[in-house]
Amino acid sequence: MALFRKKQDPMERLHQQELDETGILDMPYLVLTVLLVSIGVLMMFSASYARAYYDTGNSAFYFVRQAMFAAGGIVVTVLVGRLNYFIWYRLALPILAVSIVLLGMVLIPGVGVTHNGATRWLKIGIEFQPSEIAKLGMILAFAAMMAVWQDKMNTFRYGVLPYGIVLVMVAGLLVLQKHLSATLIIMLIGATMMLLGGTQKRWFLIGGVLVAIFLLVYLKSRGYANARVTAHLDPESDRLGSGYQIIQSRYAIGSGGLLGLGFGRSRQKYLYLPEGHNDYIFAIVCEELGFVGAVGVMILFIMLILRGYWIAIHARDRFGTLVAAGFTTKLALQVFFNIGVVTNYLPSTGISLPFFSYGGTALLLQMFEMGVVLSVSRWCVNKKALRRKPA
Amino acid sequence: MAKKANIRIVRPGERPVYDREKANHGVLRRTTAIMLLCGVLLFLPLFYQLFKLMILDHDKYESEAISNQTRTTAVAADRGTIYDRNMKIIATSSTVETVFIDPLEIHNAEEDVDFIARGLSAILGVDAEMIRTKAAKIDRQYEVVATQQEYEVAEQVRAFITDNKLTGIHLEPSSKRHYATPATAAQVVGFVNAENVGADGLEAYYDKILQGTPGAVITTKGNYQTEMLYSYEKLYEATDGSSLVLTIDAQVQRMLEKNLKAAVEKYDVANGGFAIMMNVNTGEIVGMAIEGSYDPNNYLEITDLSVLQKLEEIGGKMDLATEGTQEYKELADLYNQTVAAARLRQWRNRCVSDGYEPGSTFKTITLASALDCGAVDLNTSFYCAGEKNYPDREDTLHCWKLDGHHAENTAQALQNSCNIAFADIGLMIGGERLYNYVDAFGFLEKTGVDMQGEATGVFHPKDEFVKNAQLTTIAFGQSIKPTPIQMVRAISAVVNGGYLLKPYVVSEVLDDKGNVVQKNSRTVIRQVISEETSEIMCDLIESVVTEGTGSNAALTGYRIGGKTGTSEKLDVYDENGNQTDDKIVSFVGIVPMDSPKYICLVALDTPTPGSGFRISGGVMATAVVRDIFSDTLLYLGVQPDYTDVDMSTVNVQMPDVRDLTEAEASTELATVSLTHIVVGNGETVTGTIPAPGEMLPGNSQVILYMGESVPTDKIKVPDLSGLTMAQANQVLANSGLYLQTKGSNLYYAVVTDQDYAPDSEVARGTTITVELTDNSVVD
Repeated sequence: MALFRKKQDPMERLHQQELDETGILDMPYLVLTVLLVSIGVLMMFSASYARAYYDTGNSAFYFVRQAMFAAGGIVVTVLVGRLNYFIWYRLALPILAVSIVLLGMVLIPGVGVTHNGATRWLKIGIEFQPSEIAKLGMILAFAAMMAVWQDKMNTFRYGVLPYGIVLVMVAGLLVLQKHLSATLIIMLIGATMMLLGGTQKRWFLIGGVLVAIFLLVYLKSRGYANARVTAHLDPESDRLGSGYQIIQSRYAIGSGGLLGLGFGRSRQKYLYLPEGHNDYIFAIVCEELGFVGAVGVMILFIMLILRGYWIAIHARDRFGTLVAAGFTTKLALQVFFNIGVVTNYLPSTGISLPFFSYGGTALLLQMFEMGVVLSVSRWCVNKKALRRKPA
Repeated sequence: MAKKANIRIVRPGERPVYDREKANHGVLRRTTAIMLLCGVLLFLPLFYQLFKLMILDHDKYESEAISNQTRTTAVAADRGTIYDRNMKIIATSSTVETVFIDPLEIHNAEEDVDFIARGLSAILGVDAEMIRTKAAKIDRQYEVVATQQEYEVAEQVRAFITDNKLTGIHLEPSSKRHYATPATAAQVVGFVNAENVGADGLEAYYDKILQGTPGAVITTKGNYQTEMLYSYEKLYEATDGSSLVLTIDAQVQRMLEKNLKAAVEKYDVANGGFAIMMNVNTGEIVGMAIEGSYDPNNYLEITDLSVLQKLEEIGGKMDLATEGTQEYKELADLYNQTVAAARLRQWRNRCVSDGYEPGSTFKTITLASALDCGAVDLNTSFYCAGEKNYPDREDTLHCWKLDGHHAENTAQALQNSCNIAFADIGLMIGGERLYNYVDAFGFLEKTGVDMQGEATGVFHPKDEFVKNAQLTTIAFGQSIKPTPIQMVRAISAVVNGGYLLKPYVVSEVLDDKGNVVQKNSRTVIRQVISEETSEIMCDLIESVVTEGTGSNAALTGYRIGGKTGTSEKLDVYDENGNQTDDKIVSFVGIVPMDSPKYICLVALDTPTPGSGFRISGGVMATAVVRDIFSDTLLYLGVQPDYTDVDMSTVNVQMPDVRDLTEAEASTELATVSLTHIVVGNGETVTGTIPAPGEMLPGNSQVILYMGESVPTDKIKVPDLSGLTMAQANQVLANSGLYLQTKGSNLYYAVVTDQDYAPDSEVARGTTITVELTDNSVVD
């Protein structure tokens, strides 16, 4: 499925003509990605050591699985990077459509898989969160639509309505899953892409007001979000309840000091810190690697993010720009929200840390996205790439 | 935004750069802005947050984290041992364990609280509901379920934990006190409370020394009982408490307690009594007994049978009364007050904590003062007409002997315990001087003995003391209340050369390795009287026993001195507010008088007339001191001297003279001052009465059977009570029994006790030992 029939599609024509214009993968981006995945898997090993032993009797249980996915993920990144990213232009809408169907399936009782009281997973061979696929699909679809209608972005019909419909559908399904964090990320990514794509600014004002009203009503009706804010502001008020994770996380981070306790020497990972290998893995990074290590990891992330935007800026076409910017924004928001929550800068939401948190399918998807950005980089308009081209 | 289409078909070979960049200008500008926002600005506050948590608040969170991750297990320090002077154990500690739960851990591990409560309840015998209540306090990590569990019980708890793979139940070692049974000097040694802290007696006084320093093991521990890979363990060694070596001799102490108990029964004493035995030259307390003791292992248990009976009565009334009524409440209050009062009484060391009425025993102090300051000498004469009036004293002073002692010298005044003579002596010394002597003898200060709860005695303030009205009374020992320990040390000073000592009960402190770290020895506070005065006083005091009111304290082979005392209890009133007739009788004995070594004070509080004995120190307390000396002096290495003694008052052992001829047997018997008669006409001795090895008085006549068989019939012991020694001897001789005596040597002393009860059956030739008492002594 595509927006137009093949020969009428301007993007299609563009693609046909520039197919042979290939460069190499952007090395800084690839190196940063591999570096972060490697550090992430090692830290996940350390952080899951005690938990894995407690859960399964094998301390390396989570590590082995994660390492396999990471290795597979690097292969995926390179392979996807070798593909012409135009294929994702063609598949954007189908992927989005499938992801919306999957999101809907989660809501069917007996189909959705429940963990920790939240029903957000599906199991089709492997277990995964459809919301992750929805993010991916949405970024691709937005980029495709904005590229095609790039000269009509100032209109309501092409510049607001299609994205609004998609956002409402996806966000609506996520709200029904009570998946607040994913809703938040989707809305922010969507808004950022619309801003980049050229939607007129007044619509953001209107959209912002609508979202705010919705949030107010929604949060009022649901107590648990309120409790999270209380726990955020005063974790000690409920040491063993809502404040427990925050306090334990703070112990881990605070214990780290300047240079940390050393790799593998975290104490908080011995089942004090819940989700220490998952959403809260960054606390273990802080405890083991110290302020220096934690800042180092964050700087690697920031370099990767900046390089992602650099690729977006230097992309060959609007679709490439928007896809790269979309995925990079998603990465930046995930990192920001995760570390913000772990350090109790933000109230807690269930957002995992890319490359670090345990979860095979999420890692594969993340690596896939890295691959897509890398494939964009291959057609980057930069001097180095041009020099390598035969004159 | 430009409406113009910005797609341009790029032809191969053409450089597309400029065109596209221009077309995308708006998008790229916005992307750059987002890049700055999402790539840089967003993360700045996070860097600050990390800096704050990891650098600024590092110490705070690190220490909180460590206390979160570690478990501190106490390493108990064993409390030091308390030994008697011969290193016999009086109190010792053994390791026991405290069982506690970690409610947070139990909660986190989602253990079955009910199962744990029932399991522990069954093993430890504690209330399961109590465990449930404690387990519900999930913000706590240390809730004690049971203390002082012995090894076997602790093992059962450990098995319960491992068998059921339970989390959150812990044991930690602690220490438990054991006291030798029967307890030695319980009121002196005291006891520890449930927390193993000294609560009374030496346990409290020396608590810091005995306690030691508990250590701790700090271990890292993962949640849910997981072990950390990089764990650390820090051990702070416990230092066991130091041990005490007492000056008290458990054997002597037992004799003190035994004789005191016997006396309280024999003389029907209402309010118990006490006894102190001290080395007069060093101040070492060899024994200190207070009748009405308790078991320090179960210090709450009431031992006084009359109190128990009373409690039962109150309890019975409570059963009849309705709960919640005023009557019930009053009964309950009474019950609890009775229990509390009885406990305080049985724990109380009245030898150091309470004053008592010394009565005439105080005359030794008055006389020593008078001789020392020269107010009287041995030739001073006094006249007692039975009563006397003194200037500035309203009432007439009566002597205890109503018809008076008539003319007497200083020695006789003491021997007679004459009140009027001592009132005169008091005046001769003068109030000021006597007050200063009383002060010098240490009656106005604590003795400094290393015992819990020492009080000072009650004396008149100086301005009252010096007035004739008080002075004439104080001089013979009435209207004052020193503590027993003050009295013992003051009289020790009278006989030991005049040196006032600091009494002590702990001779050595041993550290946990057995090294002596502290040593107590003779501490002279001051010299009160001259050595010469002291020597004279020794002679006078000895004469009280040989010739005066202390005759019942005589003990064959020993030179015993002492002073009797009988005092009305001044502050005891009956329900009508009239002073009662209650008396406290006492005797201070000293032995041996040629070179005083030991002093023994015995006081009996309120003997009742029912016993048939005259209520006086000279009758009752003297006998107790005599028996204590008799039981302990040989043991303490004070050898008797029988050289000038009538051998008939000393027991000898019947030698084995069988198969000897009469001549040979006679020689053999003579060596132990025995004579014989012969029955039968055989060549050699075939049997004897008494049998070989039996004890019998010296100078006795034994029967040698030559060829005839020894009669084996039993003889009924006659009742000897009330007979004089001569009469008793006659009666026993007629029955074929021997008589041995103890007590007064005076011819008119009568039998007040016999070791074989009347009508019991004994073998021919058995020695019956009787107590002779001069029951006429009023003081």
